[in-house]
Amino acid sequence: MLEAARAQVAAIVGTDPRRIVFTSGGTESNNLAIFGAITVSRRRKIISSEIEHSSILAPLAELERRGFEVVRIAPDSDGRVDPARVLDVLDSETALVTLGLANSEVGTIQDLAPLAARCTRIGALLHIDAAQAVGRIPVDVASLNCDLMTLSGHKLGAPAGIGALFVRDSARIAPTVFGGPHESGVRAGTPNLLGAVAFGAAAEAALNAMGTESERIASFAASLLMRLRDAIPGLRWNGPPVGRLPNTINLTFPGVLGESMLIALDLEGVEVSMGSACAAGAVEPSHVLRAMGRSVAEARSSLRISLGWSNMAEEIDAAASIIPAVWRRVADAEPQSEVSAR
Amino acid sequence: MKPRVLVAMSGGVDSSVAAAILREQGYDVVGVAMRLAPEPSAPAVSAPIAKRRGTCCSHDDFEDARRVAERMDFPFYVIDLRADFAARVVDNFVSEYLGGRTPNPCVMCNREIKFDRLWSRARALSADYVATGHYARIAQGADGRFHLLRAADDSKDQSYFLFTLGQDELARTIFPLGAMTKTEVRARARALGLATADKPESQEICFVPDGEYASFVERRSNPAQLRPGSIIDSDGKRLANHAGVHRFTVGQRRGLGIASGERLYVREIRAESGEVVTGRRDQLDSSGLIANRVSLVDDSLASVGELSVEVKIRYRHRAIPATIRVDSGHRAEIRFATSGPAVTPGQACVFYRGDEVLGGGFIERALEAV
Repeated sequence: MLEAARAQVAAIVGTDPRRIVFTSGGTESNNLAIFGAITVSRRRKIISSEIEHSSILAPLAELERRGFEVVRIAPDSDGRVDPARVLDVLDSETALVTLGLANSEVGTIQDLAPLAARCTRIGALLHIDAAQAVGRIPVDVASLNCDLMTLSGHKLGAPAGIGALFVRDSARIAPTVFGGPHESGVRAGTPNLLGAVAFGAAAEAALNAMGTESERIASFAASLLMRLRDAIPGLRWNGPPVGRLPNTINLTFPGVLGESMLIALDLEGVEVSMGSACAAGAVEPSHVLRAMGRSVAEARSSLRISLGWSNMAEEIDAAASIIPAVWRRVADAEPQSEVSAR
Repeated sequence: MKPRVLVAMSGGVDSSVAAAILREQGYDVVGVAMRLAPEPSAPAVSAPIAKRRGTCCSHDDFEDARRVAERMDFPFYVIDLRADFAARVVDNFVSEYLGGRTPNPCVMCNREIKFDRLWSRARALSADYVATGHYARIAQGADGRFHLLRAADDSKDQSYFLFTLGQDELARTIFPLGAMTKTEVRARARALGLATADKPESQEICFVPDGEYASFVERRSNPAQLRPGSIIDSDGKRLANHAGVHRFTVGQRRGLGIASGERLYVREIRAESGEVVTGRRDQLDSSGLIANRVSLVDDSLASVGELSVEVKIRYRHRAIPATIRVDSGHRAEIRFATSGPAVTPGQACVFYRGDEVLGGGFIERALEAV
């Protein structure tokens, strides 16, 4: 059963099942990729970007504390990381290049294909965090030619607690969890069989539905966006017009606090998200939007709407009427002058 | 469906029970924990766990509040009011101390955050009421006017901190604990199985958990703002030097650093010159005070002219008889019936008539004893 699940997961990124290491989730996969790569290298430099997920940024901050050099490339105002700028800083001191394939907050898809050849030539490992992208857009390890790739189960609809790391057969990484010889010696611990089976099933379903599901979600997103723009003057859409995940809509709402919108919408049954939650459960302004040049006030007025396989047309209709009504109420009750309508 | 009420939850037993009671009564309860103070800096995180407890806004406290919300099945959110709290409460706290006054940040927090900022949020969330775990009561008269009353439990009464509430605020505020004693509140929490039932009381000001106000003020201001100077006696004779007027409170006896035959108290703080004037106990007496930023629970009282009331000039003081006269500029002259205790500028002076809070203001200065 475990091996059948491994084959299903391997298929969604077009690889051999033997290259798939099951982990406890995207966070562990990212940690394993980063710490596993730097442990086997004598090099002290890592290249990444300013808009990565916290499970990349936090390990990198920890490595910086331990004396490693971390270079974080700034994105453009649409959240694109220019591969040329990555190649500019790539040198023979670089142990690892680690970048997200699609941004979790604004949905920008990165052009990472130009990186592999130079990384291989210079001897740096290329790790791609594809947790957000897999299942939403076609992802192929052969064309990206990366050494390591992170996959997350729950992003595809599997329960939380299962993820995977693709490890190219030529790539050498050290384990971060030590114990028995499970998962080719890269990740000790009896694998989470139930999670893996669910992950495999979710991966297969996502692969089968890829074309139609992407189209369905993209048309939902377009319809919702058009109706919100008509109803909310000054609404700003964050992210590139093309080259983005179909399901992720990141919007700056004029004159309101995103935190208030988020709570008000939640009470109305519309789940959205914003920035990242702190330990105490409050929301911090998005580091991704800040890196894209938005002000703190703009970041605080921004929300992310994620559409998924479970969404129905009626829910899109409901959201299209609830969100503008909530926006008007919040703007009236708690106006924020710093973010004016444009 | 009963009205929606936004309940401010700190993670303590009082606000937990307040929320639980409203939920039991069928209100559409939405719990919120307000993130007010900045995150503790790195060294504070490694402090012993026992020291970290009991401060407001900690991760543990919010988790406790969340558990109560889960237990009682109502939605719960953490909201970030740090910027408002810093600008409207903490900055005021610091500038009051720098000006030689002794602020009461809990009054400020109620006025600026809980019954202003939080109320805006309540409207944004379609809530009809705001509720807190304060020990105080609200009653509505036959004429429709609202009255703010002391709590039934005199030892827990917090009406002093709430004098800034007017008719508009009282009309949409609920204090579910006003008629209960602390013992009853804890018993209720245990009966409901709330995780917070036996949590200790928080004592200190939430954003200064170690109680070291002077060093807090020093960290939050630049050295040029501090007013060092001399400690002098009533005749103007210099007794010692001091590092800043923010380290003193009118009425204070301990910590003056002076060896003297008689007990000396701080009588007056002159922030401009940096002089801290000391005197004997009997020299602290005053005949009354001038209060500013005066507000009345019912504005119609302002036209009455002179009012006979009792005034409380510190939270832990007993109310004493006095007459007050409020002018149109939100200032009031308060004359004690008999010469009163040390009047500390910056503290709140709250007007009572029996159990009812009529209003109050902030103490500007004492009137000389007659």
